[in-house]
Amino acid sequence: MNKNAIIYGVILVFGLVAPFVFPAFKVQLSILCVLIILATTWNIQGGEMGYNTFGNILFYGLGMYLCASVQVGMFFPLAEWTESGGEKTFVHTPTQFFQGMAAGLVVAAVVPTLIAGIIGYAILGLRGHYFAICTLGLGVAAGEISGGIEIIGAGQGFTTPPFPNVGGLEARGEFFYFLSFGALVLTFLAVRAIYSTRFKLILNAIRDNEDKAEAMGIETMKYKIIGWMVSAFFCGLAGGIMGGLVGYIDSTDVAFDGREMGVFMVLMAILGGKGTLWGPVIGATVFHIFKEGFWTFFLGWQYVALGVLIVVIVIYFPEGIMGWLREKYPERFGEVVDEADRKAQVELK
Amino acid sequence: MKINKLILSFISAVAILLSTSVVSFAKVVGDKIVLGAAISLTGKYSSNGVHTQNGYNMAVDRINSMGGVKVGGKTYKFEIIYYDDESNPKRAAQLAERLISQDGVEFMLGPYSSGLTKAIAPVTEKYGVPMVEANGASRSLFTKGYKYLFAVLAPANLYLDVAIDLAVEKNNGKPVTVAMAFEQDAFSQDVRLGVLDAIERTGSKKVIDDKLPKELNDMAATLVKVKQMKPDVLVVSGHTKGALTAIRQIAEMKVDVPMLAMTHCDAAKLSKQHGKNSQYALCASQWHKTLTYKDNFFKDGMKYAADFQKEFGYDPPYQSAESSAALLVFKDAFERANSFDKKKVRDALAATNMQTFYGNIKFAPGGQNVDKPMVLFQVMCDGSGKCENKVVAPTKWASAKLIHPIPKWSER
Repeated sequence: MNKNAIIYGVILVFGLVAPFVFPAFKVQLSILCVLIILATTWNIQGGEMGYNTFGNILFYGLGMYLCASVQVGMFFPLAEWTESGGEKTFVHTPTQFFQGMAAGLVVAAVVPTLIAGIIGYAILGLRGHYFAICTLGLGVAAGEISGGIEIIGAGQGFTTPPFPNVGGLEARGEFFYFLSFGALVLTFLAVRAIYSTRFKLILNAIRDNEDKAEAMGIETMKYKIIGWMVSAFFCGLAGGIMGGLVGYIDSTDVAFDGREMGVFMVLMAILGGKGTLWGPVIGATVFHIFKEGFWTFFLGWQYVALGVLIVVIVIYFPEGIMGWLREKYPERFGEVVDEADRKAQVELK
Repeated sequence: MKINKLILSFISAVAILLSTSVVSFAKVVGDKIVLGAAISLTGKYSSNGVHTQNGYNMAVDRINSMGGVKVGGKTYKFEIIYYDDESNPKRAAQLAERLISQDGVEFMLGPYSSGLTKAIAPVTEKYGVPMVEANGASRSLFTKGYKYLFAVLAPANLYLDVAIDLAVEKNNGKPVTVAMAFEQDAFSQDVRLGVLDAIERTGSKKVIDDKLPKELNDMAATLVKVKQMKPDVLVVSGHTKGALTAIRQIAEMKVDVPMLAMTHCDAAKLSKQHGKNSQYALCASQWHKTLTYKDNFFKDGMKYAADFQKEFGYDPPYQSAESSAALLVFKDAFERANSFDKKKVRDALAATNMQTFYGNIKFAPGGQNVDKPMVLFQVMCDGSGKCENKVVAPTKWASAKLIHPIPKWSER
């Protein structure tokens, strides 16, 4: 336990000093935090509950639009802000910017949670592929619908409020880094706490055999919905932060970006090892580093390289990095290994 | 928990990796001025991204070979760091950040498309990095109070409103009916607003107002409506793919419409790809090679087109020409500022007033170029099927007379 505390301490300290040690990488580090949040929350469905969802991007995109809309709408008429030909220029004062951001993030987290509850009630009865396809449609539909709503900029996109003129040149980067790191810590602690309760066991029971779980008297529907709402809460939060960080929201390319973010969150969780607490964290980190590396060193071939990486993951690490480690060093995961039994298995091969 | 040890070693590995990969360029290395650009080399804007990159490269080579940039009595050469933004605004914003904070770039060239420029502008603005962009025409870029953004092109709302005026004129000054189909992206939607203004101004009527998806490759539904409603003008805008799709399906479905106005015809190499099918299409353009502007580097439009053809093997679309012009603007500003101080260069840019082969360049306080009108050209084919783009409006530069109305398919 003591050792555990040290590790967490080290990571926390690393997270806190990182933007000052690697000042040039603040944006990449902020994005890494967002990616970890997305992978970790996807893992609640995909890993623990066995429901492969492509719909979490919906909450992420909603959070993004909601946060920006609230941040603008609290102080200025939203329609005039997003209107393309508008001749007026609105500038947020620092107080307005931060107040708006704070309120925006609350809305960005809460509203998607409620929507997850409603949509979940409607579609969480579907299972397996049916559920996956249905959620895939959610993200696509949301992208198309939001691209037609004038008040949030429609096809023109939505420019989020520019960072106010406070602090030095690095203030914007530092603000968004600590915001995303804070959100990451919150997400991790919340998910960790959830995983130490009976709730996780129920999710696992649903994954392993939903009918049996139901037969044992578990209200599976209720827990599935709650699980999705938890994911939606943190996805919305991550989306809100990402919107401010990117500075420009496009309906299909930034907000409801199912083609990239929506797939990446699944990929990261699988790479790290789904159904584990640390898997998505490791997966997202490795994935982000590889991705940035490919984009720097294999420019022009980056997608080919990424494709090869995915193939390698699927072939050599079907259970993810955590799964592979667990198989290799089971004793380190607290599993009791019977040496004789292990040898016997090896001989059998 | 031994697993924690693994995590610890993993994190330290990441730390080492990150710290060793910090490469720091300065904005001016030795005799080089390093400019940064995120360009769409892949994704939906890839063909126009390449046009943009070719335009930049062409100008860099030309300026460097003709003596470079003289600042403080010393000669410097241009160099550009490119990254691929995948036609994705999120990626573009990230890359702008990377160019500025990791690669130390202090002067930026714009990406392709309004959406991507919108994503990059907040970043360059925050760092006070002057950006001369040649491919972000959306009007809303110029109403955000950006101080470091300069666009050499005319704003998007001016692209096709001339076409509506022209249609009204041909209709003896009486209002016309207009069918519109625009892609859901920042640029096309802004073109749409310009057309709406023109419709209102002339008392015309819109009969169809469709939004087309991104990754555009089918607009049959709109064309069916056009066949039913028989509007006087059909306006389509959706970058290169929009132009190609419109021409392909109009020919396939034999849609008769007296006037077809579009954007991006030259970038799509319409006359080459669709030959006679693209005949009579009316296209908005920032530039055409027959315009009579001049400068010392490329002489004039015809010479530029010939040199470009020799270098890259195709006729330059206006996207390339305006990109080349961006470099000329930068060179001029550096020399007038006689400094590499970002603030001074920015002020010099704001005071730009010059003529290039591409057109006159003078920036309004919002950053848009106010000294260069748009032109309209029409695709015209001769008997042998060889098609050419000929300027038909405004009259000052017209090299051919507008053919109106477009002959019916049954009579072609």
